[in-house]
This record gives sequence, C-alpha cells and structure tokens, in this order.
Amino acid sequence: MIEIYISFCQKHTFICIAVFITFIPLIVSLFKKTYREASFSSLLIYLITKLVIDLTMFHFASIKQSTVVYYNISIPVYYALIGSMFYHKFETTRYKKWLIWSIGLFTLFSIWDMVYINPEFSNLHEQQLVFYSGTVLSLLMIFWILLYLYEIMLLLKIPNLLNFPFFWVCSGFLLYFSSLVCIAPVLHYAEKWNNPLDIGFVYYVPYIFEIVCAIFISVGLWNFSFESYAKQ
Amino acid sequence: MQNSEQMKWVLLIASLAMILMSFFVILFIMYYQKRRFEEEKKLNDIEKNYNRLLLDTALNSEETERRRIAQDLHDDIGTMLSLTKLSLNQLNKMISKNGDEKEESIMKKSQSLVEETILHVRRITRDLVPTTLERFGLLEAIEEFIDKLEEDNSLIISFHANTEEFPRQGQKLELTLYRIMQELVNNAIKHASCSKIEIVLETNDRFVSLRVTDNGVGFDPEKIKENNLAGLGLLGIESRLAIVNGTVQYEKPLKGGSSALAQIPVMPLSENKPEPLHPFRRERVNI
Ligand SMILES: Nc1ncnc2c1ncn2[C@@H]1O[C@H](COP(=O)(O)OP(=O)(O)OP(=O)(O)O)[C@@H](O)[C@H]1O
Ligand SMILES: [Mg+2]
Repeated sequence: MIEIYISFCQKHTFICIAVFITFIPLIVSLFKKTYREASFSSLLIYLITKLVIDLTMFHFASIKQSTVVYYNISIPVYYALIGSMFYHKFETTRYKKWLIWSIGLFTLFSIWDMVYINPEFSNLHEQQLVFYSGTVLSLLMIFWILLYLYEIMLLLKIPNLLNFPFFWVCSGFLLYFSSLVCIAPVLHYAEKWNNPLDIGFVYYVPYIFEIVCAIFISVGLWNFSFESYAKQ
Repeated sequence: MQNSEQMKWVLLIASLAMILMSFFVILFIMYYQKRRFEEEKKLNDIEKNYNRLLLDTALNSEETERRRIAQDLHDDIGTMLSLTKLSLNQLNKMISKNGDEKEESIMKKSQSLVEETILHVRRITRDLVPTTLERFGLLEAIEEFIDKLEEDNSLIISFHANTEEFPRQGQKLELTLYRIMQELVNNAIKHASCSKIEIVLETNDRFVSLRVTDNGVGFDPEKIKENNLAGLGLLGIESRLAIVNGTVQYEKPLKGGSSALAQIPVMPLSENKPEPLHPFRRERVNI
C-alpha cells in the first residue's frame, strides 16, 4: 500500500505537496489556539475538512479510482466554510445577509450542477466534474475577499496589516482563487476519465497556489494573538 | 493538437494575469492603508498641538488675570488704604488733643481695622501671584506656602528636596509645579483629614518630580474619574501637566493615605523670559 502511495507521490509531486501542506496551517492553528476566535474556528474546520477530503482523494487516486465525486462534493462545503469565516469578519450587517443568502443559493446551484452533469449517480467510474460550480466558487470568493478588503480599507481599524492575521488569510485565498478562476472551467474536460484535453503544466498552477495559500495562512495564523484580537 | 497547445498558453496567460492582478490589489491595499494611517496620525498631532495651545492660552490668561487683579488691588485699594491710614493718623492727633475717651476708642478701632484691611489686601495679592516663586524659586516658595499654612493649623507639613540649591527652572515649569503642589496640599487638607503631609521635590537631568503624600483617608482616582467626582482641582492638574508633557500618578501607600507623583521633563531654560506684569518689582527691568 505504502509503495503505491509513494509511487503516486513521485508521479504527482505538486498535487501531493498541496495535499500534505495543509498540515502546516492546521498545526499552527492548534498550536496558537486560534479556534478561540469565531472566524478562525471556521478556518480550522475548513482546514480539517480540506485535509480529510484531500487525503481521501489522494487514496483513491493512488489506487486509480475516480475522485471526481469528492471534488464535486467539496465545492459547496468549502464555500460554506470559507463563507462562514467571512461572515464572522464582516462588520456591515448588509454584507453578512448577502453572504448567508449566497451560501444557500450556491449550495443549491452546485447540487443542481452535479445532478445535471451526472444524471446517473450510481456509475462512479463515469462521474464527470461539475461544469460551472468551480468557476462560480472562485468568482464568489474573489468577490467576498475584495469586499472584505474594501471594508477594512474604509474602516481603517488595523494599523499594520502585516501583523493582522486575517489579512494574510485573505491574501492567500485571493491568490489561490484567482489562479483557479480561469482554469476551473477547463478542468471539466481535463478531469474526464479518457482525458480529451491535455492542458499540461497549466493544470498544476492552482496546485502551486494552493501551496502558496497554505503558507500565507500559516504565516497569518502565526501572527495570531488572542489578546490583541479581543481588543479589536 | 494545435488547438490544445494554444489553449494551454491562453490559460496560462489568463491565470498569470489574474494572479498578478490580485497581487497588485494586495500591495495597493497595504500601501493605501499605510498612507491613510500616516495622514490620520498627522492630523491627530495637529489637533493635539492645537488643543495644547488652547489650554496654554487659557491658563496663561488666567495667570495674567490674576496678576491684573493683584495689581489693581495693590495699586488702587492698597494706595487708598495707605492714604486712609494717613488721614486717620492726622485725625487721631486732633482727637487726642480734645481728650474725649469715647472718640479716642472709636478712632483706635478704625485705625486697627484699616491696618487689618491692609494686611488682608497684602495677603490676597500675595496669594494671587506667587511673588516668592518668581524671585527666589520653587524651594523658597514652597517653604513660604508651608509656613503660612502651619501658622493657623495643627498640621505637620514636611518638605524635602534632593538638592540644597534647587536649580531654577523655566518660569512656566516652576509655576506649574507650584500650582500643582498648592492644589495637592489643599486637597489633602480639604478631603483627607490627615495630620501629616509630606512634600518631596526631586530633580535629575531629565525630570523634575514632585511627590505629595498624606496620611489621611486616601482615595481612588479611577473611581473619582469614572463617577465624575473630579472637581476643578484634579482636572486642572492634568491640563497643566499636558502642556508641559508631564504625567501624574496617584498611589495608595500601604500605610494608608494617598500619594501623588507629578513628573515633568526638564525643559531647556528659555533665555528671554517674558517680563510678567509685575506689581511688586519696583525697579525697571530692561529687556
Ligand atoms: N488627598 C486626598 N485624600 C482623599 N480624597 C481626596 C484627596 N484628593 C482628592 N480627593 C478626592 O478627589 C475628589 C476630587 O478632587 P478635586 O481636587 O478634583 O476636587 P475638589 O477638591 O473637590 O474641588 P476643587 O479642587 O475644584 O476645589 C475630591 O472630592 C476628594 O473626594
Ligand atoms: Mg481640590
């Protein structure tokens, strides 16, 4: 079994790093006890969920089974978790309301997307990647992150952004989702079982930025101190 | 296959463009935030300086007004009283020639009343303007203040300074310290019901510090501020100190009572002292 994993790692190095790097922000988060703050506890849940889904996908990919279904499920889950993180962070109630609505609507949308693409759910091997959800997820996330950054720019409460953990988290996600937004629509074709479209190294760009994102989040979490948060 | 190759490049370029864009967004926000904060800080500084100037002017005009009143009292009423005393003396001579007992006793009474009034006016003018402070400095002024208080009280007030010769400070600083000392001692007498007050004046090359300790009931300055009990006294101390960048701390010594420590950074002595409206200095001073 282990040899299978190792050989998979050797073949897809970037993907494996992107999977295992989630351990770093996770450990930092536990070490710094960031879960005492509401938005960071959402982030922690997100990290744990991501790790679990990624490891599952890693396992099935290495034994040459389709992982598409996990990918499809993960999209609305990630959106809900990252969204709830921003929900705690926004100070404008109007934005909070929009965010809640968008989470609900997006979940429905991605379920529809999944069912529409895969009318026959039983055939796991023939599952296809969702068509729109990945792109919509990236667009929505970019929108919320920019909105949040706009809000902190207006409110002018944080004197030094580099010491502000959430700014790092936002920057990481922003980079990741903007790397994903153009590639997500193509993944539908690239991830098919009989891969009709080879996009080569471009395929790895989101994985690289997933790693960058994890590093940014770790740096942000490392800056976390509950005392200074309580004051804000 | 040609198509796929092109697709690859389009995707790569689009992705890179997106990533670059978000990178610049991040940089822009950091830069903008920093700029805004600097501006805000500048504005704050300006406002703070302005407030300080305002306070300074208010306190200065208070002192000027005191001087004016003192001068008027001294020059007008003082002179008139002296003249009255002179006339009374003449009258006294005339009456004593007549040898009427009753008239003479009334005369004596009016004379002593006038004398007493003169003394009172002198005392009031001296209270209004701390002349000793200006002429001889803080040590002298504080000692005089204590002597006057001890005369008609059963209080024990002790005073130490860490140097024999207390170097003269700027006029403003001396006056600030003197007024603070006055208010603290007055507070101790008014509120603390204490039997002992200790005043310590210390200086080094950076700070002049004044500590006033009493052995009375003590108080909690936080509570007083919270409950809006602070009168003009404590607030006045703070605003006076704000002008000269000083600080004040109130402590509760273990053995009871209360202790206040005011610290003021030493200012370089300004050469051209503004000549005060000086009611008591007769010789002309040329600047
Ligand atoms: N040495 C002290 N011991 C006990 N209580 C004090 C002492 N100094 C101040 N206080 C308390 O702090 C309160 C505020 O003092 P503050 O000097 O500001 O006002 P005040 O003396 O009542 O009025 P003002 O000084 O304006 O004539 C006083 O009412 C008193 O209760
Ligand atoms: Mg008082």
